[in-house]
Amino acid sequence: MPEQAISQAQIDEVYPKVAQIVADALGCEADEVKPKSSLIADLDAESIDFLDLVFRLEKGFGVKIPRGKIVEDARGPLPEAEFETKGVVTDAGLARLREFLDEVPAERFKTPLKAADVPRLFTTETFCKVVIRAQRALAG
Amino acid sequence: MLGRFRSFSFVDRITRREGGRVEGLYTLPLGVHFPASLMAEAVGQLAAWSAMAQLDFALRPVAGLASAVHYHRLPSPGSTLALQADIERCDAEAVAYSGKAFIDGRLAMELIDSVGPMLPLHEFDAPEALRADLHTLLGAGAAPARFAGVPTPALHDLQTTPGERISAVLQVPDVADAPYFADHFPRRAVYPGTLLMDALASLSLQLVRQSAPLAGSPVAVTKVSQTKIRSFTAPGARLQLEALLQDIGPQRARLKVAARSDDKAVASARIEITPWSAS
Repeated sequence: MPEQAISQAQIDEVYPKVAQIVADALGCEADEVKPKSSLIADLDAESIDFLDLVFRLEKGFGVKIPRGKIVEDARGPLPEAEFETKGVVTDAGLARLREFLDEVPAERFKTPLKAADVPRLFTTETFCKVVIRAQRALAG
Repeated sequence: MLGRFRSFSFVDRITRREGGRVEGLYTLPLGVHFPASLMAEAVGQLAAWSAMAQLDFALRPVAGLASAVHYHRLPSPGSTLALQADIERCDAEAVAYSGKAFIDGRLAMELIDSVGPMLPLHEFDAPEALRADLHTLLGAGAAPARFAGVPTPALHDLQTTPGERISAVLQVPDVADAPYFADHFPRRAVYPGTLLMDALASLSLQLVRQSAPLAGSPVAVTKVSQTKIRSFTAPGARLQLEALLQDIGPQRARLKVAARSDDKAVASARIEITPWSAS
């Protein structure tokens, strides 16, 4: 079933709380966090920070975010073999990522893109969408 | 020689495993200083036993995050810690839990929302040996009085500006100088995150003891929050530690602390220090 679109208004609604949680998890000031900030490239997030962030979002919004769900959702209906080849995202994979991560500025989709570098694309808005999807899942 | 499961293991016996709750006991040896931070280590180890068993000893959690640790009572030699951990979630990525330590029925330490990332267990220890250890802990229990203490943190190049900041270089012991590396861990020696937090706490106490209006008052670390251990520290490493005073008054001092290795962040936390009466 195709995913129900997420509107900018829905993102804006959860954004202030998500941005504060991002700032708390990364130990930076709230005004350093912008909607299009890449958490890794702009805010120096590491893997432990993503773990921290996801747990904080779960607590803050009362939702469950299954482990590995973000990358799995990013891949969408594409089998892993069609999404990446030898660790590099395929053209089909890139098309899927551009669609799924439509909040990410287009110029950040560099090629070749290593599958391991997909989290480098994630922005504060990406996590707003993660929360909205988790809220939808909760609501059934 | 102090072997595996001897020098840095703070669960003597696991008394209950039911649902997400696990309980255990640990008796502090006589005549040995037991840093308060090791109460959090004990609860973390209890949760780790449960998590490793749940994941069939394929993965083990390592120190990662803790929202808060509250210290209510300091442990004294010979006292018994009644430990409990409530596992909120345990999967291939991480274990999330909270826990408590009681002394004589009174709450001594509370660990809130701790998350330990999972790593392949075989990199740290022999799975079969750990299975056997768990069997011992669930049965007769481990031999008592195994802990021989930890070396006082070796802090060098201390630079203090009372009322503002303190920094120092922490020389992490070599394997030969610290028996705990045999236990932490047998296949890969890692400086325990709880000892790093103890060193940061000790540095913070030094600053507060020189800063008005708490200078000269008996004080103790009563809360450590937003703890994040970002990377492993190997034996023999030199870490730059820093504590910055955020605010201080007659009832409380709050500090931001961090440890770095060269330019890489290793750990960070916030520490609260308050006047303390031993009674």
